[in-house]
Amino acid sequence: MKVWTMLLAVGSMWLGACASEIARYPVESFAASQQSGRRYIVSTPAYIRLDSGYERTLSAGTELREFGTIKQGRILQPVSTVFTIDGAHMHEAYLVLNDGRIVGFYLPAEGAFSPLSQSVNLSIQERRP
Amino acid sequence: MKLARLCAVSALAILVSACAASGPKHAEVASSIPALKSDQGRIYFYRSSSFVGAAIQPSIQLNGAVVGDSKPGGFFFVDRAPGPMEVSTTTEVEKKLTFTLDRRQTRYVKTVIGFGIAVGRVYPELVDDATGEKEIQEASYIGQPLSR
Repeated sequence: MKVWTMLLAVGSMWLGACASEIARYPVESFAASQQSGRRYIVSTPAYIRLDSGYERTLSAGTELREFGTIKQGRILQPVSTVFTIDGAHMHEAYLVLNDGRIVGFYLPAEGAFSPLSQSVNLSIQERRP
Repeated sequence: MKLARLCAVSALAILVSACAASGPKHAEVASSIPALKSDQGRIYFYRSSSFVGAAIQPSIQLNGAVVGDSKPGGFFFVDRAPGPMEVSTTTEVEKKLTFTLDRRQTRYVKTVIGFGIAVGRVYPELVDDATGEKEIQEASYIGQPLSR
């Protein structure tokens, strides 16, 4: 019995330590924003469960700026903070919004899109200068 | 019994101090750190001081080239042309971090120890500027010699 318990513990550690790589696809039709000065504030916290199993919270008060658009939606870049997503590796990520929901992430270093299986509602307000 | 404990604690202390980075603190070298060129960005690499996994000190690669080592309590920096960056560390597995570097931008990459199967793993993490600036104050400089 003890042997099985140990094997299970080691097995779960191994699985946890070897998270799967996140899905990502080359972006199509990226267009830089003509309104990169537009900034927004996250109104209510958004809880994001990544397909890799990791979780992220986008805190209320987080500032975002218009970065561009891709086929999947508009890209908002976190300002003064770092947002990353994890699988087997860590990637800096910007939010991709479609119809007020986070549908995935733009990975600027890879120029790729990583989709979320379950989109998350994001409540933002435009920041006035 | 007390002597055995004392010996064990002393041995641990010696081991930790032997594994920790030695060098001047950030405040001592801050004035010698060159200004960032206008066509480049800067990446600081650092690791908090901790005896957990202190003996695991892998090399840090940036875009495929070794730029330094992950040592507990140590920091260094490199200047690079803007563009996509890939940082990697290898212990029993390779762990990567990708991000972008802009012109005149400073970024902070922290290496942290995590659990592995046979040995601990060292992960590179991108941290925000405020956290990075604060945490390197406690670290010792382990980079290339700085001209005064």
